[in-house]
Parts: sequence; C-alpha cells; structure tokens
Amino acid sequence: MKALNITPPIIAIIPSLVLLPIFIQIIQDFHIGGLSILYNFINASINPSINHEVIINCLKGLRVTFSIAIFSWSISLIIGIILSLFSSYTICRILNIPQLVATCLRRFLTLTRATHELIWGLLLLQIFGLAPWIAIIAIIIPYSSLMARVFSEQIDTLDNKEILALEQVGATGSQIIFTSILPKILPFICTYGSYRLECAFRGATLLGIFGLGGIGNNLRLSIISLNFDEMWTSLWIMFIAIFILEKLVIYIQNPKLYLNNIGKYVLTSFTILIILMVLSLKWIVITDSNFFSSIRFHPIETLKLDNFIYAINYLHWLNLFRETITISFLASSFAIGLPPLVLMFCPNRFTGKVLSLFWIFCRIIPPPFTTLLLLLCTTPSTSVAALALGIQNMGVLGRLLNENINKQSEDLFQSLNSTGAMESISWLYGKFIPQSNSYLIYSIYRADVILRETVVVGVVGGVGLGWQLQESLSSFAWEEVLLVTAAFISISMVGEIISEYFQQHLQNLD
Amino acid sequence: MKNNLVQLIVFLLFVASGAKAIAKEVLIISAIPDQYPEKLNRLYTKLANELSKDLNIKVKYKPLVNYQAAVSAFRTGDLDLVWFGGLTGVQARLQTPGSKVIAQRDIDAKFHSVFIVNTKTNLKPIKDISELKVLRGKRFTFGSESSTSGRLMPQYYLEKAGLQIRDFKGSKSGFSGSHDATIALVQSGSYEAGALNEEVWKDNYNSGNIDVKKVIVIWRTPPYSDYHWLAQPDLDKHFGKGFTTKLQKKIIGLNKRNPKQKEILELFSANRFIKAESNQYKNIEKIGRSLGKIR
Repeated sequence: MKALNITPPIIAIIPSLVLLPIFIQIIQDFHIGGLSILYNFINASINPSINHEVIINCLKGLRVTFSIAIFSWSISLIIGIILSLFSSYTICRILNIPQLVATCLRRFLTLTRATHELIWGLLLLQIFGLAPWIAIIAIIIPYSSLMARVFSEQIDTLDNKEILALEQVGATGSQIIFTSILPKILPFICTYGSYRLECAFRGATLLGIFGLGGIGNNLRLSIISLNFDEMWTSLWIMFIAIFILEKLVIYIQNPKLYLNNIGKYVLTSFTILIILMVLSLKWIVITDSNFFSSIRFHPIETLKLDNFIYAINYLHWLNLFRETITISFLASSFAIGLPPLVLMFCPNRFTGKVLSLFWIFCRIIPPPFTTLLLLLCTTPSTSVAALALGIQNMGVLGRLLNENINKQSEDLFQSLNSTGAMESISWLYGKFIPQSNSYLIYSIYRADVILRETVVVGVVGGVGLGWQLQESLSSFAWEEVLLVTAAFISISMVGEIISEYFQQHLQNLD
Repeated sequence: MKNNLVQLIVFLLFVASGAKAIAKEVLIISAIPDQYPEKLNRLYTKLANELSKDLNIKVKYKPLVNYQAAVSAFRTGDLDLVWFGGLTGVQARLQTPGSKVIAQRDIDAKFHSVFIVNTKTNLKPIKDISELKVLRGKRFTFGSESSTSGRLMPQYYLEKAGLQIRDFKGSKSGFSGSHDATIALVQSGSYEAGALNEEVWKDNYNSGNIDVKKVIVIWRTPPYSDYHWLAQPDLDKHFGKGFTTKLQKKIIGLNKRNPKQKEILELFSANRFIKAESNQYKNIEKIGRSLGKIR
C-alpha cells in the first residue's frame, strides 16, 4: 500500500482545522448580552468621530507612535547589522576572530530576542520611571537581536567560493566584507528591514496601550470609556498610515531599483535612514521636552530567597505553561491555516485586493482590543485569547502570502484555468503550491513569534503567563515577576529550537 | 569626529540637567485612572489651576493609563502628589517610605462598594453577606485589578461569603478596567454581575446614566477607608520650607462657597476634604496581604 504523503501545501492548510475547537468553545460561551455594545462598535466604524479636536489628537498620537517606531527601528537596523557581522561564522573566520565569539553572541542574542518588547517595556518602566525613551529601548533590544539573527544567517548561507578566491589573492578581511559580502546582503537587509518597520509601528502602538504614549494611548482611553466613534477615528487613521507604508515598502523592494546599481541604492537607503532618524528624534523631542531628563535609576527593593521559594510553590506553573502553550498552538494554527484557505476561495485579483485591505485591519487592531471586544459576548478562555492573537498574525501571514503570490508568474494558473479547472483548484495548484514551502518556513518562524506574543493577550484575556505577569507586577512581587519572565524566556527558547528543527526539515525538502 | 561626539554628549548632559532643574518648579499631580478619562481630565485640570493660583507655582496634571503606573511613577519620583485608592496608596507608601498622607474626602473614611446585577438574572437584593452565593456561576466583572472598591474589598467579601473567583462562569472573573466600564458592561449584559465604587454608582444614577430596568444594586458592603492624597516625602526641599503643610491646608480649605472650588468638590463627589492618617489603612493593608496584592 502506498504510504500517505503529506506535502507542504496540505500541511499549510491542515492547521485551519483548529477553527473547530476555537469556535466550539466560543459558541458554547457565547451570550447575547454584549450584542448591543458590539453593534455600537460596528456602527461606529462607519460613523467615526470627525470632531476636529479628536482628529488632531489622533494625528498627534500617530506622530508620536511613528517617531518612536522609526527611531527605534533605524537604531535596531544599525545595531542589528553590526551584531550580525560578529555573530556570523563566515565573518569570524575571515577576520580571524575565534568562532567562540560568534557562538557566545548568538546564545546571548537568543536571550534578548526571546523577551517580547512589552515585557521589556513593563520592566524598564519599573526601574526607570515614565519616560518616552523606554518605549524606544524596549523595541530596540528584541528587534536588533532579531535582525542580527536573520542577517547573520543570510551571511552564512552565502557562497563560500567567492570569498575563498578573494582570500587567495590576498584581500584583507575588511576588503572582503566591503567588496563581496555587504553588496550581496544589503539588498536583503533593505527588503527585510523595511518589513520590520511596520512591526515596530505595531510594537510602539502596543506599548502606548500600556502607558508609553502615542496613538496606543488614544486607543486605550477610548476603549476604557467605550467611546467607539473616537476609537474608530484612531483606527481609520492608522489604517491609512499603514496602507501608505505598505505601498512604500513594496516600492522599495522592487528589484529594478537595485539591480545593476547596488551602490547607489544602498547609499540612497542609508541617506533616507539617517534623515528619518533625525526627523523622528526631532519629533519626539518636540512632543516631550523632558525626553532626556529622566534617565535616573530607581532600584527595586532587594530580592529575598524566601520569596522566590514561595513563588515557586505558590504559582500554578503547570497550568500557566499549559495555557500559554495552548494559546500559541491555537493562534498559530489559525494564523497559518486560514490565509491560504481564504485566498483559495477568493482566488481572483479583485477579491485579492479586498483581502489585502482586510489583512491591514487584522494587523492594526491590537490583540488586547480584539480580546476585549470578544469578551463582550463571551467569557474569558484560552480560545478567546488565541483567536485575538491569531487574527493579527493572520493579517501578517496573509499579506506575505498575497505579496509573494502576486510576484510570481501567472502562467501555471492560467494554463490550469484554461483547461476548465475550477478557479479555486487552479489557484491551489497554480499559485499556492509553488509558494507553499516558503510559506510554511515563514509560518514556522511566525509560530515562534506568536509564542512570545501570548504575553500581550494574556494580560487582558486573564489567561496564561501573560496574566500572571500582570498580576505579579500589580502586586509588586518582584521575585514572581522575575520568575515569570524567566519562564517566558525559557519557553520561547524551547520554541525557537523546535521551530529551527522544522525549518531545516522543510528547507531540505526544497 | 571624536570631538563632535564629545560635544554631543556634553550637549545632551546639558539638556538633561537643564530640563531637570525646570521640571522641579512644577508640581506634578496625578490620580489613579478609576473613571472615564474625560472626566478625570476636566477635574484635575481644574484642580491644578486652583492649586497653582494659591500656591504660586506651576501645577500640572499627568494622566495615567493604569493603577500600577501610578504607584511606580510615584516611587520613581515622576509624580509629586497623587490621588490614590486605599490599596494603591498602601502599595505606594511601602515603596516610597516617608511619603505623607495629606487628606481624604469626607466620604472616604466610611466608603462602600456595591454589587450590581443585570435584571435578566432575576436576582433580588440580598440582606446578608452569606447570600452573595447567588452569584455562583454568573459572569462577573471587577473594575481594575488594583482597585480597592472595585476589586480588593469585593473579593474579600465574596471570599467571606465562601465564593472564590473560580466559582464564576468560566472559572474566571473579568476586569473591566474602570468603575464606569463595569456599569456599562453589566447594564448591557456583557457581564451578569459586577462590583464597584458606590460613589461612581450614585454619580451615574443621579445624572441619569443608569437604566434601572436593566441594572440594580443587590448588596452594599460594610464601610472601609479608601481614597486619599499622598505626597512625596521631599516636597519641602524642592518647593520651600513648609510647602507640604501649605498644600495640605489648601486642599482641606477647599469649600463650596467658592464657585470654582464648589465645582471641583462636586466632581470629586465630596463636601470637603478632611485630614487623614496612614493608620486608617491598616485594615486595607491586612486584606491586601491576605489576597496577595501586597507582599
């Protein structure tokens, strides 16, 4: 008997089966109590507040969030490039630095990367007080280490022959880096880097919700008062901003721009980067004149061993881990499985365009809000948290899949379609299958990110380690805070190891 | 190049020290965000203007998004005078030794929480605390997780009645974030029951924001001490000798004969402010410790 062969396209769609348990749970808990408020929310989407003051306020918030995002993103990009050089085995070999340096740096970066920007934000807030630069540092730490990882991996997969040849003719280490390595990876850095800008924007918005200024703050204030029309003003403004940003990023990634004139492309990008950095810093200083004033250290009380032991025994660790892992499993499956499924049933160009607008919406509504909205009609559960997290990440993966599919040629799809195959079937075979492997590789990486992001929904959804972190922070139990953070870091690291294993497995299939 | 860097650092340090010196001429006041932000903004901006006029210094109101940020920002010295709840006030005093309880409202010495239900639950008002058990299996929401009247005391009385959080529907309770939101969520039916600050309830009731056909009070807790003003220990050092006493006198001296002050007091739902002592909050501290909110 022939063994059943599960191929990447099937693996990519199978996860959407989690829709079943998620919706069973949510329908079980569903009640009509919150329908009137939910109706107000939906109604407000077409009637956002157009009050002059509200709009000005939102625009100001947007400016702060964008400045924080751009500034921290550009610094992360620079630090990321520098760190990637020292954590790349190839570079270490060229520069005669012991490989141990790269290994140690990589291990260290896992640690800084495994901690979500929200955790950094909440912890730094405790030690340094309310200051706008906290949001910036909170984003820079995980982002620069993440970029360092991605860039160094790219450098290490470069073809070795060229480098060896240059070494043979007596080129120095720095000459090799500048003439052979950097020109090859800089276009990648530009394309990947520009993706991260939107992530930095989402991160800055999220930090705003937790008190660090910007449009997140506007959103938070309007939802506390259930003031949906003002909330929709913020959401629509964010929507337009992200829409423009997305178009710009697609433009920058156009290969025509950098093929044959890499030098000019890199120089232009670098100049733009510096200009953006200066502008964003200027904006931040304009909004908050105390920007540089509050770099003061406020130590927390001394930690006690007894309290650590108490916290280890007192918290229901098993339960917290189980909930956190369940959320990330459900959310990942939802986010991975749905985009191909939805695109399959809406295969033509027009629906594709509508969907890409829909993905933007999924991405801009912060998961804590989706959770709150869902909670209007249901009770707190892991499914609610997972759905909220899944929706945002579905937006991320949906956009990626859509863009990659649009970049490839339509020949296969057209020829299948002209044989009279159903449009969705031609889409599946003609468009999705060539993409499925790379989609899955990225999806697995995303699952890793989702595991880290569970902290965000846990905080409001009342589940998992995220919730415990919030409880421990509001009780000012530092020992517990440290233990929960350590727990987060360790499961993120385990998650990363598992995802690396799967990624390699898939890459071998290629 | 190196020279430029040094210049930049010197400049930044200059900016830093300069800004710090300016910042201390301003008294920063704040409050836990227990009600709708628009109302808090109106109230504290008015109060800041009033204090500024008589004390001859700049007073600025800094809005916050959560209770815990108020405690932390007080500890880090970003806030000079904060309107805390019972629990957050105790937390802040433990973290900022020497900080001074300035005043409370006339109603704060004997404060109450109320338990409210949506009328679709068909629950009737109860007389005895043990009857709180009727809330078993209901969808229940507190206010903010660090609220004294919206979480700590209600949870204390629920536990006294033998009801744990896991006994609510979904084995969890909700946290609406503020007292106003609790009313809105229970009235709309998102949650079947909730607990909140009695003053916010009365306030909404009097201004006609409550539909009595949809939401009713079923129980009022026994009295306890709640909200109070807490000041940094070192205000005199920054604003001159005797400043803390002057500030206290000013706050206690607010009275309803002055139209502007009347407006402020009404927004606070108070007749006047009275002196308060930190030992009034010993019981809150005990309960906070027993429920794990104070370590």
